[in-house]
Amino acid sequence: MSNRNRELLYLIVVGLLTATGFASVYIADQSRISGGSLAYALFFFALFLAAHLVARFAVPHADPYVLPIAALLAAVGVTEIYRLGPKDAFRQGTWVVIGVVVFALALLGLRRDYRVLENYKYLFGLGAIGLLFMPLLPGIGLSVNGSRLWVHFGPLRFQPGELGKIALIVFLAAYLREKREVLAVGRLKDWGPLLVIWGMAMLVLFATDDLGSGLLFYGIFLGMLYVATARIAFIAAGVGLFLAGSVAVYQTTPHVRERVLNWIQPWTTHKIFCPLSGAPALRQDCQSYQEVQSLYSIAHGGLGGTGLGSGTFLNASGGQIIPDLNTDFIYSALAQELGLIGVAGLLLVYMVFTLRGFRVAIFARDGFSKLLAAGLTFGFAFQAFIIVGGILRVIPLTGITLPLVSYGGSSILANFLVLAGLMLVSNRANAELAGAT
Amino acid sequence: MIVASTTYEAVLLALKVAFLILLYLFVWRIVRTAAFDMRLPQESFILQPALVGGAVAGPPIPAGRLVVVHSPVLEEGEEYELEALPLTIGRAGQNDVSIDGDEFASARHSRIEPRRDGVWVHDLGSTNGTHVNGVRIDRPRKLVAGDVVRAGETELRFEQ
Repeated sequence: MSNRNRELLYLIVVGLLTATGFASVYIADQSRISGGSLAYALFFFALFLAAHLVARFAVPHADPYVLPIAALLAAVGVTEIYRLGPKDAFRQGTWVVIGVVVFALALLGLRRDYRVLENYKYLFGLGAIGLLFMPLLPGIGLSVNGSRLWVHFGPLRFQPGELGKIALIVFLAAYLREKREVLAVGRLKDWGPLLVIWGMAMLVLFATDDLGSGLLFYGIFLGMLYVATARIAFIAAGVGLFLAGSVAVYQTTPHVRERVLNWIQPWTTHKIFCPLSGAPALRQDCQSYQEVQSLYSIAHGGLGGTGLGSGTFLNASGGQIIPDLNTDFIYSALAQELGLIGVAGLLLVYMVFTLRGFRVAIFARDGFSKLLAAGLTFGFAFQAFIIVGGILRVIPLTGITLPLVSYGGSSILANFLVLAGLMLVSNRANAELAGAT
Repeated sequence: MIVASTTYEAVLLALKVAFLILLYLFVWRIVRTAAFDMRLPQESFILQPALVGGAVAGPPIPAGRLVVVHSPVLEEGEEYELEALPLTIGRAGQNDVSIDGDEFASARHSRIEPRRDGVWVHDLGSTNGTHVNGVRIDRPRKLVAGDVVRAGETELRFEQ
């Protein structure tokens, strides 16, 4: 079976899965069976069918699995967001459509040779800084929940840091490809531009209090440096610096200390001072309320879950129990409704995506393609780890989106670009492999 | 009403089970085909450290050299040794074979890449195309000794 026919087959399975999930949500909500859920699944299928047809034309040899996997994650996301609030689902659906359009444009625009991007590496590096810096600008910058990560143009809200991530990966891939030999021997002047751009990115992230993205960028930087130089010493130095930096930040920044306390000790047995209300309260009723409620939500799901559409997310007075449920905490919502079996399956889907991504990197022929595919895949996987690990108390919680599932336009858009990048790289590698035999 | 609600519960249960089965079927099928992929030649996604020092890893690559046959800028008979790393041809100064002054060449025109299975020529999306023995290539092509590669108005002969 050819790659594209295989892709179509898997997309059909995803369509069935979408129909099942949405029907479940719809029936649980309306207590009646209707054709509405089928129409939704058909629309979703048609959208990804369009993406598939563009891939058939633009990247015929590309990996057949990454597109269906992305479709599956996006479908699970929109279904759960619909279940939590139909209005948000409409906006998320619109963003998925925009994401697919951008994906198609990227494939069509770069199908001949995406490696032209290498020539604009400094533009990408500075672009990444510019995008990260945008929310700090007066006028267009916007603070949501205490983090200044947004920009707005009229009614349109956008989180430019997500696109900054992609730009930074392109810059790192191009720069490391060119300089990896001299970097490996450790000539200081070659490290200059790398450290300046990366240092600025970290500074801006620190200024915007975006710890999740900070960790993500740091991880991507170290991961790609290792792929380029194969020097374990750099990684050890990087991890050492990270630990030292974390200790320093822990001692100087109160809200980081709070995050760590919420992680180690979310429950207290006696009342402590609560900065939110100004009165003494148990920590689980104050600072760690969100984390603890999310853990209860996961526990309530048990092994098999309540079923999509049948979970409990509202308290007796109709208010939402967990704040930010459809963005940072969508994993807890899914864990309740799909159960351990379901979310384990979801994590497997992320792992399979990562597996395919690294395979694309393995088969890529030139350094830029290898670095690009490895960087995009690593960023995607590490982001999923940061948020799921944070929710499950493996690491301290830092708010970041679950790729392709969480509510958020910029995140959807950025991850469709990751998908386009992997398909472009694998198309070239597979075409050359086919031409060689 | 009671009958109706139990029906819905049964439907919901069936949908829940169907969802989980489809999800795992999806993952299982992909992992199973991915296992077949492992039969293909494996390389690491980490860039070869051996290339860093200029040494060649694994079996020696059958490299060769490129000899200038005709060019508006390069001297005839000039030779470029092909080693383990790919060699790029184009008008921009960063190319290994820089042909600044050849008006028909693109900034990054072609790439000559020695691999374990031979030496390959790739077109890098140039405007006027890369030609091998007068024929424009639309996909990477393996070179044999004596082939003439043309980028812009510059012609190079591949020798082993």
